[in-house]
Amino acid sequence: MSHNPPKIFLKFFRWFCHPRLKKPIEGDLMELYEERVKIDGKRKADLGFIKDVLLLFRPSIIKPADGTYRINNYGMLKNYFKVGIRNTLKYKMFSFINVFGLAVAMSVCMLIILMLADQQSSDQFHEKRDRIYRVLGKPFKGSVPYATTAYPTTNELKKEYPLFDQVVSLRFGVGGEVTFNQKNAEVRGFFTDNSFFDVFSFSLVEGNKTTALSKARTIVLTKEKAYQLFNTENPIGKHVQFTNKGLSILNPDSETDPVDWGLYTVVGVIDNENLKSHLTFDVLVSSSSLATLHEANLIDDLTQNWDMTTDSYGYVVLKEGISQRKLDHSLVDFAERKYADNEDLPEYTYFSQSITRITPGIVVSNEIKFRLPERAYWVLSFMAVIIMIMACVNYVNLSVARSLSRTREIGVRKVNGATRKNLVYQFLTESVITVMFSLFMAVFILSIIKEGFMNLWVIEHLDFNLNLSGPLYLLFFFFALVVGVLAGIYPALIISRREPVSALKSDASISSGKFGLQKVLNVSQFVVSLLFIVTSIVIYKQFKHYTAFEYGFDAKNVVNIPLQNNDYELLAHEFNTVGGVMKVSACEYVPATGTESSVDFVHPKTEEEHKELLFLSCNEQFLPNLELKMVAGKGLPAKGSGELDRYVVINEAATVKLGFANPQESIGEFFLDKSRKNMVEIIGVVENFRASLLIGGDEIRPLVLQNREESFKYLNVKISDVNPMETISNLEEKWETIGSGRTFEYDFYEDQLATTHKAVFDVASVIGYISFLAILISCLGLLGMAIYNTERRTKEIGIRKVLGAAEIKIVLGLSRGFLKLLIISIVIAAPLSYLFNTLWLNNFPNRVDFGIGSIILGSAVLLTLGLITIGSQTIRASRKNPVESLKYE
Amino acid sequence: MKNKGLGEFEELVLLAVCILQGSAYGISVKKEVEKHSGRSILLGAVHITLYRLQDKGFLKSELGGNTEKRGDRRKRLFSITDTGMQQLRAAQEVRQKMWQFIPQLNPEA
Repeated sequence: MSHNPPKIFLKFFRWFCHPRLKKPIEGDLMELYEERVKIDGKRKADLGFIKDVLLLFRPSIIKPADGTYRINNYGMLKNYFKVGIRNTLKYKMFSFINVFGLAVAMSVCMLIILMLADQQSSDQFHEKRDRIYRVLGKPFKGSVPYATTAYPTTNELKKEYPLFDQVVSLRFGVGGEVTFNQKNAEVRGFFTDNSFFDVFSFSLVEGNKTTALSKARTIVLTKEKAYQLFNTENPIGKHVQFTNKGLSILNPDSETDPVDWGLYTVVGVIDNENLKSHLTFDVLVSSSSLATLHEANLIDDLTQNWDMTTDSYGYVVLKEGISQRKLDHSLVDFAERKYADNEDLPEYTYFSQSITRITPGIVVSNEIKFRLPERAYWVLSFMAVIIMIMACVNYVNLSVARSLSRTREIGVRKVNGATRKNLVYQFLTESVITVMFSLFMAVFILSIIKEGFMNLWVIEHLDFNLNLSGPLYLLFFFFALVVGVLAGIYPALIISRREPVSALKSDASISSGKFGLQKVLNVSQFVVSLLFIVTSIVIYKQFKHYTAFEYGFDAKNVVNIPLQNNDYELLAHEFNTVGGVMKVSACEYVPATGTESSVDFVHPKTEEEHKELLFLSCNEQFLPNLELKMVAGKGLPAKGSGELDRYVVINEAATVKLGFANPQESIGEFFLDKSRKNMVEIIGVVENFRASLLIGGDEIRPLVLQNREESFKYLNVKISDVNPMETISNLEEKWETIGSGRTFEYDFYEDQLATTHKAVFDVASVIGYISFLAILISCLGLLGMAIYNTERRTKEIGIRKVLGAAEIKIVLGLSRGFLKLLIISIVIAAPLSYLFNTLWLNNFPNRVDFGIGSIILGSAVLLTLGLITIGSQTIRASRKNPVESLKYE
Repeated sequence: MKNKGLGEFEELVLLAVCILQGSAYGISVKKEVEKHSGRSILLGAVHITLYRLQDKGFLKSELGGNTEKRGDRRKRLFSITDTGMQQLRAAQEVRQKMWQFIPQLNPEA
């Protein structure tokens, strides 16, 4: 035969063709080819052959995807499945250890998957999500980026660069009460304009998207708020009264005196209940309404203000085909032109963030919604993966060990013609079966830990929606499948490698080498566990340290009561008459709980660069109330003794910052308060105390105190030890009589300080939980090995006993190997955990000493649990009646 | 097989198999059909139809002899079954019946 058709197509045909049809069709093809060569020549015949082959590629000729020997394979798979199930049921203890360990680890992974899925689903409903970017600002190099930018930013960008389809800015400042027919709804939101609906895909359930918010004095409400006001009535065109109270989206506590902003027309209702977005709001007010508010001096005019970079968000929609890089490039250029000459923000620069990368995303200040930074998810995922690996290691260890007793089965299978591939499939089938059992259990465990997790303080603020849905179940199923293959592949490869002869002959000789690896795996499990344990102990100690921290002031029995716009003097006077009240003072914010404000001081003579200091406004009673002592000079002046805002008291740190050699020197010195533009005189120096967050930094920051009664927001009431709750209820009664209509709120200062560090506690509990799981899984693995080992040595133990060995000797003999493992783990893990923990502690402000105690405690926990695990098996084995154990086969 | 009826192409193939009488295999059927219908037919289409007809029970097949051209790839020879013949006849009868009722062809009826 001189002519051959194109080889590759012939091969292709042979590959896809159903074996039943292969020979005759191939014959026909060849015959036809020969004929064509004779008539049309080789080239045409080749082309004809290719065409025929390609046209034969159709469903009825292609062989089935699941292999040629489908029927045969199915029988084999059925057998694998049956043997797998039987093995699972026969060795209940081992199966339980495997299933449970994998289930625990999988549930943690699934929780993380749930969280990630929830976060990823945020802002996916915007049609233009691929082109929407948020403009971020960076005040200076190395600072945390701000989600907010100057109000005119986006409009100016659109004017100057041809990159944008639409832009929109959302300005803060709307927060108060909407009233209609005596019904009130508290709302917080933004000023924005009609382009809001061009950029985002929030759809209106009522009203017209193309015109909404284009006119002055119009508002759009969310469905929820509209329902509160109008019930089922159609809200469109209704006039509502808006009273601004300075409520802010960022700060739930902010509130100012109510100001009447007049009537607004409702032009739309947004249904955002089921839309997951980083944007939260109850109301949108048309930005054209701002003009009249500016005129009435009710809100600052920011239209040309480039210095206020914290009052508005800017979003842009890029034209098709324009890259983020191009946008960033233009933004840098834009910032240079706008801010290079700005003396306060010379380094100010912009960059962009895709709307789908906001949650989860980088850490940004002034974010609308509190959320975990991307890094937190990385850490959590990392820990989950470690736990998962540990569980897989257990599976590997146990199945390799146990396979020693299954060598005969393997031998028989091999002798009967099973290839190595078949055996690998068999063991993979078994691991997948195990994992599927685990999957059920994991879903169950997940529902339990989900509850606990959602109750964590941090998580409560994250607004997670961790509901299981169809696609997620599918995802879990695939996850389980992957875990099953990963856990099963190593044992499958090892076990299937055995030679049939040696496998059939005996099982004693194979063990030595494999056990080496198992030991390494066991040790690494315990090393990881100990690392986790020590870390969680250290974090917990850090939390304890924070709660018991010496703040420098005495918060004991001090109750902080928000004034809620009541007159502080009146309240203070009334509270002073209540029995059990020892002292009442007033202040602007509660120090060391997260809020702070600042002041810029300039030396009037030298006019050197300004110095930024913490600022706290409080009355003359405040320092004595917290038992703070004056180091030099006198305290703040009381009301009625002249101009209060001329005098300040500073702390010792401030004297250093302002350049005085000792506190005495600073008394009587004058400084210029830059923002208020008045001269102040230092009349006293108070001892250092903490007014800022502990987590914010090691040092005590310089502080300025002044008696400015207009900014007081809290009363600090010191009450006596005796019957504090009764005193508080008396205070509440008093509060009621003054009759502002507000509910009485109070917090013990000590509790407030403790909850401030709740986040640290939450981290400790998460790591604690993970370390609990880690040690649980390691102990399960150890238990499995111990059970297996004692079982295999049942006869040996019987013989030893018959020959007169004491129980304790047998226990020791059986445990020695495991004990060695534990000790080695501790020896490795102790320095590691020391290194690791000092690493993060060193970057932590106001840290606790690491102390060897944590390591000792952790090791003790590990040893105890390990010994209990081993002992449970070895002691039982040593107690067994030798008659029985000798009969054991 | 749900559909026991005959498609147009199936009918042609079935007829060709009948004509070829025991020497019907892929290529001979293809040629036969091409010869009578005058249209070019794909080998794949013929094979698929042959196997489908076999599945439907209208054809049976056996492995035939080798020819020099085919190497060791033996032909699969098809022949018609009784049901196949019946089906073919039934199809023919239906047509015949319908032909009779076309007024243009029988002006006197």
